[in-house]
Amino acid sequence: MPDTIDMVDKVLADLKKVGGVEACAAASRDGLLIRAILQQEYFSESFAAMSATMLGAAEAATTELGKGVPHRVIVESEHGRLIAVGAGRRALLIVLVDSETGLGLILLELDKAAAKLKELLA
Amino acid sequence: MIETGIPKVDEFLGGVKPKGKNLVYYIQHGVEGEIFVIQTVYNSLKNGGTCVFVVSSTTPDNIRNLFKEFGWDIDPYKNNLFFVDAYNPLIGALSNEKYVVSNPDNIEDFSKVITDVLKELHPGTIVFGSLSTVMDLCGETETIEAVRSWNKLAMLYDHVMVYNFTAWPYSRETLDLIKKDMFNAVISIGGIAERVIFGQYFGILKSDWAKETKKSMLFRVLRPGGIKLFIPKILVTGPFDAGKSSFVHALSTRAISVDRFGTTIALDHGHVDYKGFSADIFGTPGQERFDPIIKLLSGESMGIFLVVDSTNPTDFVRAKQMLEITKSYGLPYVVIANKQDLPGALTPEEIRKQFNLPDDVPIIPAVAKDKIGVYEAFEVLIDKITGESDA
Repeated sequence: MPDTIDMVDKVLADLKKVGGVEACAAASRDGLLIRAILQQEYFSESFAAMSATMLGAAEAATTELGKGVPHRVIVESEHGRLIAVGAGRRALLIVLVDSETGLGLILLELDKAAAKLKELLA
Repeated sequence: MIETGIPKVDEFLGGVKPKGKNLVYYIQHGVEGEIFVIQTVYNSLKNGGTCVFVVSSTTPDNIRNLFKEFGWDIDPYKNNLFFVDAYNPLIGALSNEKYVVSNPDNIEDFSKVITDVLKELHPGTIVFGSLSTVMDLCGETETIEAVRSWNKLAMLYDHVMVYNFTAWPYSRETLDLIKKDMFNAVISIGGIAERVIFGQYFGILKSDWAKETKKSMLFRVLRPGGIKLFIPKILVTGPFDAGKSSFVHALSTRAISVDRFGTTIALDHGHVDYKGFSADIFGTPGQERFDPIIKLLSGESMGIFLVVDSTNPTDFVRAKQMLEITKSYGLPYVVIANKQDLPGALTPEEIRKQFNLPDDVPIIPAVAKDKIGVYEAFEVLIDKITGESDA
C-alpha cells in the first residue's frame, strides 16, 4: 500500500524534472491533496482544492455548452502558468510552470504522467 | 501509569490508569512510526515523570536532536531523562551515557543492563526506540523471552514499558505473539492508500484495561508539532448568506476564499490546527447555480457543518436540500445556528422544531463573525467523527 504512494511520488518527481516545471501535485477530483512536490507544504492543500475546483468548473461549463470535456486548464499570469489536467475519474495533475519555457514538451510530459497516474489509481 | 501523549489515544485508553503495564507501537514498515515513542517520552517528561530511552538504531544524541526537530525542549528535564546506549558500542564508538550495553548483540548483556535500570530507578517510563533492532541483533525467540521477563520485572517495580516495534517480515509466530499476546496494549500504525485517501493511521488493537475501541484514525506528523490527528475534509455548507465563509475563516488557522461581491463563488478552503487535530475545511457556495461545484467538492468528506441563519427560517428548506446535494447521508453533521446576535434569532431548540431535526443532531448557537461558538462546534463534530458516543 505505501508502494502506491512511492509510485505516485515517482510520477511527480519525473514531471518535476521537465525543464520549466517549478512544482507539481496530484489531487483528487474532489479537491484532496494526494501528493505534492512544492516549495512549501503549507499551501499545497489549498492549491489542490482550488485547482480541482477550476478543472471541475471548466468541465461543467464546456460540457454544458456541448463542447465536450476540456483537455486541460491553463492559467497564465505574469509570473508563471498553472496547468491542470484530469488523470482518470478520480484524480488530476497540476503543474506550475515558469513564464519563459515553451509549453510543448511540458504538455506532452504532463499527458504522459496523467496517463500513468490514472493507471496507478485505477 | 501509561500516558502516551498521542491525541485521542489517552482518551481511549483512559479511565483506569494502571501502573506496571506495557504497551507496544506495532508499526508497519514504511510508516513514520518513530515519532510515537518520542512523543510519549516528551509527554511523560512534561508531566514530571522519569524516562529511560533505550536506543538501538541510532545514537542518543540523534534522539536528543529529534526532540528539537519536533519543537520540544528537553533541557529542563535532562535530569529525568536517561539513555541506555545500545548503539555506540555496536559501531565501536565511545558512549557518554550512564547506561551502556557493551554487547548489544548479546541478549544476556542487554538484559543485565535493563534489569539494573528497572531496579535502580524510581518508577518511570522505559521506552525502547526499536525493539525490532534488538530482535535483529539478538534473535527472535531470545528477544521475546527477554521482553517477557523485563515486563514482569517492570510490573514488580511499577515501571511502564513502551516499545516501538517495526513489523518487518519476521516469522508469523513472532508477529502474532507481539500483536496479540505479549503486551497489555497494542497500538497499530500503518499506511493506507484507499481510493484517494493516502495517509497513515493508527488504531488500538488491544488494551486489557480499557474498553476496546476498533476505531482507527488518520494522522500526520508535523515538524515541529509531532503527531496530529488528520481529518482530510470537513465540509461547510448551508444556504446563501448563512455565514459559511465567516465560519470557515473564524475556525481556520489560515484560510483562502474565492469570492466576488462578498459571496463565495468557488470555495472557501481553510486549515485548522486545534487541540491535536489537523483538519482541512471546505466551504461550498450557497446559491443554487453553483450546485454542480458543491457536488464536485463534497466527495470524501468525513463530517459536515451545516450553517444556517437563525433569523431566516425560510432558508431551512434549502439547508435540508443542501444536505442531500452533498450526499451527506450517514455522515456526522452539526448544525450551526449562526447570527445569534441578531434580533429575532431563533434558539437552537426552536430551530430543531422548525427543522424537524432528530435529537441526536447537535445544534450549536454561534456568531461566526465574532468567533463565538465555532470551536465548540468543531469539538462536537470531531467527537462525532472520532466516535465518542457521549458527545
